[in-house]
Amino acid sequence: MEALFQNIINALQWGSFYALIALGYTLVYGVLLLINFAHGDIFMVGAYIAFGVSVFVLGVQGLNLPGWAVLALGVPLTMILTAGVGVTLERIAYRPLRRKGAHRLYVVITALMCGLILENGNLALLGASRKKFPELMEKTVWTLGNVSVTNLKVLVIFAAFAVFGILNFIVTRTRIGMAMRAISYDKFAIPLMGIPVDNIIVFTFVLGSGFAGLAGMLFAMSYPILEPYMGALIGWKAFIAAVVGGIGDIRGAFVGGFLLGFIEILVVAFFPSTLRDLIAFSILLVILWMKPTGLFGVARHQKI
Amino acid sequence: MSERLLEIKDLKVKYGNIEALHGISFHVDRGEIVTLIGANGAGKSTTLMSISRLPPPEAPKVVAGGIFYNGESLLGWTPDKIVSELHLILVPEGRHIFGNLTVEENLKLATYARKDTPQDIERDYQRVYSLFPRLAERRKQQSESLSGGEQQMLAVSRALMAGCTFIMLDEPSMGLAPLLMYDMFRALKELNKEGMTILLIEQNANLALKFADRGYVIDTGEIVAQGTSAELMEDPEVKKAYLGG
Ligand SMILES: Nc1ncnc2c1ncn2[C@@H]1O[C@H](COP(=O)(O)OP(=O)(O)OP(=O)(O)O)[C@@H](O)[C@H]1O
Ligand SMILES: [Mg+2]
Repeated sequence: MEALFQNIINALQWGSFYALIALGYTLVYGVLLLINFAHGDIFMVGAYIAFGVSVFVLGVQGLNLPGWAVLALGVPLTMILTAGVGVTLERIAYRPLRRKGAHRLYVVITALMCGLILENGNLALLGASRKKFPELMEKTVWTLGNVSVTNLKVLVIFAAFAVFGILNFIVTRTRIGMAMRAISYDKFAIPLMGIPVDNIIVFTFVLGSGFAGLAGMLFAMSYPILEPYMGALIGWKAFIAAVVGGIGDIRGAFVGGFLLGFIEILVVAFFPSTLRDLIAFSILLVILWMKPTGLFGVARHQKI
Repeated sequence: MSERLLEIKDLKVKYGNIEALHGISFHVDRGEIVTLIGANGAGKSTTLMSISRLPPPEAPKVVAGGIFYNGESLLGWTPDKIVSELHLILVPEGRHIFGNLTVEENLKLATYARKDTPQDIERDYQRVYSLFPRLAERRKQQSESLSGGEQQMLAVSRALMAGCTFIMLDEPSMGLAPLLMYDMFRALKELNKEGMTILLIEQNANLALKFADRGYVIDTGEIVAQGTSAELMEDPEVKKAYLGG
């Protein structure tokens, strides 16, 4: 019983990372019908930005900020800078293609290339050596029987739920969120409402990349070794989670992320860990097989 | 002395390499109802999309001539600014409502760029719902599931919520039952009485000329006749080609 609780907590924390990253895939897809394959690498860049920001702030002479203050400063800074990276990709890679009316296939390939450029650019810039993320939070462990929770785990899980709440509010209640939903349905009519299409797209990238930056920072705090390819596999997995949840729907990304987290942790609890991905993805395959549009997805007709 | 609001001068536009308008000129004064009538493929929608400055490939590219609003050229304007700053709004052919949003959300989205007070916006909601009570009843309904006529009402209402003072309507009667059509035109007339300028496109020339003050007839990218509605209704050529003899 206690083992089960421990697993649930671990799965919640692990699923939080998938959910945070999957939300970014689903947001961009929901607006542009584009699978932004660079998103996993934006998460990686976010982790490095968090590293840079933290090391810099800790290193400023005479400041001697405590860890929590570095954290309070680092989170928004990391999110803003990572959002900047996402917006830059949109500007220099995706927007020109959109202007020229390129087929979606070419945009997806461009996204893949952007991901590779981010990975290898990082490699060229910082070298292959791994980076050790500084400790920003004094670790507190709460135990109840044999179940233990760290304050960091609680923070990660809280962040994922908070981000979901914020995004859900934006998408369902605000005008800009309505515009995000409306674009994928009928892009032609958006400017006729007085809405600049590009602003909505930029805002979407700000949200997706900003939260990928947050995920990167939290991930680096939880698993403090950084390397340039850290975003590749987790990015793919989060993408799959978003698809299983129903890509384009933020509830789907959230549920899909946690579902994958739970499946992975529970598989490891009962089987050798080498079987983890095999079993996890077989389960997801069966879900898609039964519901090809994903858990929350609805079949959408092809639009412009 | 009437005030010239919209002026089109020798406008030539192209889709790719194909010229769709071969130098048309017309104008609309403030407070007028003007109609542009013509057969399928004459260039009516092309004209309105050019004025709204919508981007290719759906809309054409202006290659010569000018579009002036209040004396200012619109050629450097973006389509969203034409709505948010000039309040010149197109209700496009085929309605283009956001079917995945509810009626209410469609209307709220249209207020995106409004700069006036919440009270003004609230008054416009009341106005829209009193002009089109059917929409009020269907507020929470997914707009995809509205009937064609209701969707057209929603499309016009969106333009009102976006704060328009000059509305361009591309075949609003298309697919409407006669009774709904009558409702729609009554509502438009009422708006015109309150100062709204209207440029109406119709294939149904009878209906359009009864409704409008003046009209232009467009045929394969050229204006071939113009005059007051009464004049056009008496014009033998127009009678023969557009009014069924
Ligand atoms: N997106 C486009 N690309 C290429 N050609 C186009 C495009 N849209 C319209 N055309 C062409 O331009 C001409 C004028 O079309 P337009 O849609 O303006 O006609 P219309 O008068 O609105 O007709 P209808 O009454 O059928 O709506 C037609 O020959 C049409 O084939
Ligand atoms: Mg047309």
